[in-house]
Amino acid sequence: MSDTGGRLGRRLKRILLLLPYAIQHPGVSVDELARKFGVAKKDLVDDLNLVFMCGLPGYGPGDLIDVDMDDDRVYVRMADYFAAPLRLTPAEALALYAGGRPLVELPGMEGADALRRALEKLGRALGIDSARDGSPGSSGIEIAVEGGAGEHLASLQQALAHNKQLKLEYFSASSGKLTERSVEPWGLVAALGRWYLVALDHLSAEERMFRTDRIKSVTMLDEPAETPADFDPQRYRGAWVGGGGGSEVSLEISPEVALWFEEYYPVLAAEQAGDGWRRVTLSSGGERWAGTLVLRLGAGVRAVEPRAVLDEARRLAAILRSRHA
Amino acid sequence: MRRIERLINLIAALLDTPRPMTAEEIRERIQGYEQDTHEAFRRAFERDKEALRAMGIPLEVVATDPFADQADGYIISKERYYLPALDLQPEEVAALKVAADAVLGPGDEAAAGLLKMSMDGPVAPLDGPRVVVGADVAAEQPLLSPLYGALLERRPVIFSYLRAGETEAKMRTVEPYALVHRRGNWYLVGHDRERDAVRAFKVSRIDSGPSAAEGSYAIPAGFDAARHLGKEAWEVGPGEPSAAVIRFDSELAWWPEQNMPSAPITPAPGGAADIEIPVANVDALVSWIIGFGGAAEIISPPDARRRLVQHLAGFGDGP
Repeated sequence: MSDTGGRLGRRLKRILLLLPYAIQHPGVSVDELARKFGVAKKDLVDDLNLVFMCGLPGYGPGDLIDVDMDDDRVYVRMADYFAAPLRLTPAEALALYAGGRPLVELPGMEGADALRRALEKLGRALGIDSARDGSPGSSGIEIAVEGGAGEHLASLQQALAHNKQLKLEYFSASSGKLTERSVEPWGLVAALGRWYLVALDHLSAEERMFRTDRIKSVTMLDEPAETPADFDPQRYRGAWVGGGGGSEVSLEISPEVALWFEEYYPVLAAEQAGDGWRRVTLSSGGERWAGTLVLRLGAGVRAVEPRAVLDEARRLAAILRSRHA
Repeated sequence: MRRIERLINLIAALLDTPRPMTAEEIRERIQGYEQDTHEAFRRAFERDKEALRAMGIPLEVVATDPFADQADGYIISKERYYLPALDLQPEEVAALKVAADAVLGPGDEAAAGLLKMSMDGPVAPLDGPRVVVGADVAAEQPLLSPLYGALLERRPVIFSYLRAGETEAKMRTVEPYALVHRRGNWYLVGHDRERDAVRAFKVSRIDSGPSAAEGSYAIPAGFDAARHLGKEAWEVGPGEPSAAVIRFDSELAWWPEQNMPSAPITPAPGGAADIEIPVANVDALVSWIIGFGGAAEIISPPDARRRLVQHLAGFGDGP
């Protein structure tokens, strides 16, 4: 039954959050409530008017929830049973751990201690009774994000905090070479189990994602760095933006590869291609990135387009063959 | 009366009532259940119970009188419904806000969780610093929250699971001990009842389920999920681990030193570095080596070198 996933469910969830908040903050303004809960003022007033019609059996003046909207100030009374919110659901707790666990472990993260304490309290709020069995203090969730040298990650954070450019020694797998470049750091993104630095790369004059484990050295420069006003980490889900100029790659994957591929990579389109194979299209991190991906899939891939990606896979295959033959 | 009002009345009554209410009492006393026929009431009430459970509201069914043939009663457990006071400090709320903002992907669940945890906090929205950190750990994977719910309540689960390299999924009964995100994948680590051993299951290979299994369980003292997963993909595998030597060219000789502090390193000709690692999954090793763009080489064992060359077979210089 999924009817709580719809509009009714969302509204009911919001009301069950709104009530404890209004009860705990008598006289809070409608504007403040609307902002806090991210809803239009009109919707918020509708919610409060709806609640006004509800209450306990009897449904007389002493049983209904008392909502007073006086001069834009909100007072909710006669609803002590709604004075505390519902415990966190597994999905809500997971989402907070998903954001919080990687940050706690990120070297140089400001406020990491406070976050660790907050997540411990979250564990308690979930009702994890650590005395009940042998996993005290465990949330049952572990998130490992690899990031290379701790001091590099700390330096990257420092440059981000001070808006400074960086000089990087970086191993670029696509060229197989150690490169030196200056970059303007925009942010750090954890994706597919690794930390990436998102930055404007002066060497290519493009936005790039750098695997932090492949940074050999970091030097903070005096030159200021500028982050675009519209920089949004949300754009970097799956870590394949940048470096490719928005190009796409299309390939057919075997039934075995199809089991995991579409969940792991941000696939733009997929369709059946016969014999259980599937044709998938994904945004490419560049020909060399895509060529490496194709080569990794080995016999699990066919019909690669564009041709340049296949050529790149062959070029890399020739290098590896000559070393291992 | 609209359904949402009926649901609010139902939650209010079942939270406030000192003793469980029978379906008949609910029909008579709670506003919104004025259906004409008993059948219409049953349908409406069934739908509402499902809706409450789907939202995570702890609706409990209790026998009102264990000795008589009485109808079941319904109540919402106060202890399980109410979030206990957390006494979060302002800096802890601020840190949690940064974490909630860092979640990449649909952020509704994190936002709702943050609101619940900051109820007693300041009214104004917390305008933290500009968000420069994001974490995409695929937390919206649909099977995660049912698995996590089972783990929190220590309820075993049954699901059908397709092992790598097999074509047919098999039923597994597992007591969930931990959910681990590693190398970009989610794993369920738990006690496999049929095998009577701890196993790691890749969540994306769960074919159907999970559904609830019988009984309850406890997580053993000192349980360490990481031990069952390995750090690198080539550490976990079908075979027993055997030693492999990998050479990193001079361009990359610093890499193992910085990233694999536990692997023994020996200098090799031309400024290169050799490392020795225990490999249980040769295919994963091959994939890993390809990712270094030709700057890393498998030195030994010979069959791993051959496997890499075989893997490249479809990528000759043909047309």
